[in-house]
Amino acid sequence: MAVKVLIVEDNPVARSFLCRVVRESFSDVIAITEAGDLEAARRQINLTGGAQGMHGVDPFKLLLVDLELPDGNGMELLAELSHYPATKIVTTLYSDDDHLFPALQCGADGYLLKEDRFEVLVEELQKIVRGQPPLSPAIARRLLTHFRPGSSGEALPSDSGFNSAGAFQSSRPVPIEKPLDHERLTPRESEVLTYLSKGFTIKEIASLMGIKWFTVNDHIKSIYKKLNVSSRAEAAVLASKQGLV
Amino acid sequence: MTSGDSPLPVDPLPGPRAARAAAAHSSHDPNSPAPAKSRAGTTSRGVRRRELATIALLCAVGLLALLRWLALQPYLDSVWRVEDDSVVELVSSELPGLKGLAGAHLQRISGHDGQVVQVSAGLLQHSARWSVDDRTRQQQSDAQLRLASLLDQGPVTLHFTDGRAVRVQPQLRGLAGQGVFLWLLSGGVLAMVLVTAAVLLAHPRWRNVPYAVISLCQGANLLAIGIETLPGLGIPQAYTQHGLFARSALDLFSAAALVHLSALQPLRLPSGRWIAAATWGGCALLLGLIAQQALPRTWWWVQGGMLFSGVLTLLLMTWSYRLERNPFALLMRRLAGAATVTLLLLTAAVAVAAGQNSIVQADASYSSVIWYLFLSTLILLLPIFSRAQPLMRELALLAGTSSVATSLDLLILATFGLGSFASLSLSVFFALAVYAGTRGWLMQPMSRRHVPGGERMFERLYRVLREVEARPRDSDELLTHLLRDLFEPLQVQQLDRPSARSRVLGDGSALLVPLPMIDAEQGRSADGSILLRFAEGGKRMFSRDDARLTDQVVEQLRRAVAYDKAVERGRSEERARIAADLHDDIGARLLTLMYKAQTPEMEDYIRHTLKDLKTLTRGLATSDQRLSHATAEWKTDIAQRLGAAQIELSWTFTFDRDVVLSVVQWSALTRVLRELVSNAIQHSCATHLEITATLESGRLRLSLADDGIGRNPQAWSHGLGLGGVRKRVKLLGGEVQWRENGRAGIVCTVLVPDLHPRQ
Repeated sequence: MAVKVLIVEDNPVARSFLCRVVRESFSDVIAITEAGDLEAARRQINLTGGAQGMHGVDPFKLLLVDLELPDGNGMELLAELSHYPATKIVTTLYSDDDHLFPALQCGADGYLLKEDRFEVLVEELQKIVRGQPPLSPAIARRLLTHFRPGSSGEALPSDSGFNSAGAFQSSRPVPIEKPLDHERLTPRESEVLTYLSKGFTIKEIASLMGIKWFTVNDHIKSIYKKLNVSSRAEAAVLASKQGLV
Repeated sequence: MTSGDSPLPVDPLPGPRAARAAAAHSSHDPNSPAPAKSRAGTTSRGVRRRELATIALLCAVGLLALLRWLALQPYLDSVWRVEDDSVVELVSSELPGLKGLAGAHLQRISGHDGQVVQVSAGLLQHSARWSVDDRTRQQQSDAQLRLASLLDQGPVTLHFTDGRAVRVQPQLRGLAGQGVFLWLLSGGVLAMVLVTAAVLLAHPRWRNVPYAVISLCQGANLLAIGIETLPGLGIPQAYTQHGLFARSALDLFSAAALVHLSALQPLRLPSGRWIAAATWGGCALLLGLIAQQALPRTWWWVQGGMLFSGVLTLLLMTWSYRLERNPFALLMRRLAGAATVTLLLLTAAVAVAAGQNSIVQADASYSSVIWYLFLSTLILLLPIFSRAQPLMRELALLAGTSSVATSLDLLILATFGLGSFASLSLSVFFALAVYAGTRGWLMQPMSRRHVPGGERMFERLYRVLREVEARPRDSDELLTHLLRDLFEPLQVQQLDRPSARSRVLGDGSALLVPLPMIDAEQGRSADGSILLRFAEGGKRMFSRDDARLTDQVVEQLRRAVAYDKAVERGRSEERARIAADLHDDIGARLLTLMYKAQTPEMEDYIRHTLKDLKTLTRGLATSDQRLSHATAEWKTDIAQRLGAAQIELSWTFTFDRDVVLSVVQWSALTRVLRELVSNAIQHSCATHLEITATLESGRLRLSLADDGIGRNPQAWSHGLGLGGVRKRVKLLGGEVQWRENGRAGIVCTVLVPDLHPRQ
């Protein structure tokens, strides 16, 4: 059976380019569904069992979601699909943490920068699917702040170095960060994040910490998961506060 | 007492120590400026109010008890007058037997057991305390005592010079028979007790006890005066027995306490303890001798003691001011000076009048009463001088002037023997002259010496406002500068604790000004206050007007900065909007173009352009960036690109300080690095790229060394890429050069001599 992939992207040229990237990345038979906006994407997802993916109908295994869509932000879709059993990847032109971090909080398993070369994109996509998501220094810093006990993502302490935290303020997506008792990072994970925030590569970190590079990747994966969990917990708290649950 | 909005606790005479403690963040110091504390302190202030109310109630009850006791004392409801030659004339009386006898001269009073009191002018004179001569004083005291005991025993017979004798029954005085003056004095006593209690409650310290002693002694003196001036004939026996000694004791206690106070406040003088102890010792010795009646010329001794204390206080205050230029010392010196000079005048007047006829002597007792009232107003004012309304101060001055006037009147009457009208007008004239002369002098610690004219004031404020707008980060400094300009204080301290509004502290010696919350955004959210001490080089006290003025200044500064911030916010929002538009529209088009590129070169070129666009838009939208963050991103980016091109990277970046890069610097460095790395990837065919950068005291040295095929850089034609590098490095104020790298490759060195965080 073919692996089902949904690509949500409004630019047709970019869409076909991403299709090529996806086909190049996997040797399996691929069934690609394309959607030009959020509405089309939701329709497609409903056809395959809805946002929860509970009906056992053959769901999408991989979602590529553009952030800037004509009828909304891709993060909305990601938030709706937080329980959807697929690898969710954000494809965007925005590489700054102010745009990417909220997307990761919404449950994205990784991100692809659309201006990267074809080969780079293929490699990155494969890595994400294998569970080796990218983590830029800015996002690592953001994560460190996020997981710091008693810190809130919004009220960044001045010494955290987020002098650029105000970037893209006007076009910044809905901030989801709120202080919360979420899962703590292990010391190892914090260490990895700290190195990442300083610009070290995975290989360098592995040798610095005296561990295998895939162990570093495991840590990164785990951090992603914790971020996701904590964000979902936040959402739950938020919902219960607003009487939605 | 004090005006409306600063009811309590009255700042007492805290002096430098308290202010210093305040500066040292002592949270126990009630004087310390702490809004946080005042929030918590509302309860304690409530408790204080309750305590104060209790004290007021107790005091009122005590006074009422005294009045009731007085009401139960017998007296003869009659008005008498001392004529020339010590003749006591009946003016009027409601008593049945005396009704028709107005104008008759009283000779003696006898009791039912035959005891006789010879009537003299001294019997009517209120206080024996102000009788100069020992013998007169004794006679007077004895006569009053005997009269009191006669009245106590029952009906008395009044014998008049014309032979008539009237037997009258003494009545109980009742509340109506106490006269208005006593009630007024009781009110004054209540006020003094309250002020004292407020001072003690607000600052329960030993240093304030001498003040309490003075205040309570003078309060008791006022009560004694009230009893002595009761209308009618007959002063309670209990009072006549002890009144004379008590009043001398109260005066001497006050005098000693004044010296003690000036040894402690505003500055604890080095040997103040010994001075105070010696004064108290002298006072006790004097009182002991007076009690034993072993001291001839008692009045002179008491007056001498009081005057000596006054002069000593003046000296101590002068010394204190020399040690620390606290304007409070200046004020106290002037107040003590005024009290001492008027006392001297009064003493002289009374002494001269002592040899004169009885009318003059009767006047003498009144002038002493007025002096006591003057002293009481001064005592009342002392702790609240800087805060009291000008009306209160004028009232005190007026009391002083009256005291001078009556003393002068007495003096003139006694020495020149002028008619009473002439002497009165003369003395009033002189007193007014004195008032005019001393008013400015006495108020000087309260008034500004060089009031900056409205124009200059406006100009200064305007200048500072503009500077604050230009450099909001330096607003603290600018405000401090402005305050220095305005008040010329001796000391300026910055405190970390915030304060809600400007306050006068240390009874006028210090002013606490809140710093406007300007730097909260820059992370210096801990806003504080400025403590100014000793205005105009210690010559002036801060007043509430000053506090209001500084509040307005601070408010203006705050507004200026808020306006500036709003403008800046608008500007950055505008930039962010442009950035988002550029990024979304142009970026998407470039992306499409890139996907459609025919050749890899074209694709790379467009990718490069797209990245530059992203750097540009990010530069538009972000504020400054830390060097460490920027390098982390550079490194990740370069490592990824070189990895894709299979070039090995060695990266060393060392900096002695994590400077904050301005947007211009960040974007220039980012693009220079990208261009140079692109160059290496595209042209060098290198296998290894070594990037080293060092930042030492602002000097940035960046070098990229490859091991590729590039040679002879002088012959290169500088296209768009390398030209751009030159341009950007030049923008940073540095230079770039290429040279051959050993056997293979090229080294590019960028040198920026001064990477100052702000350009």
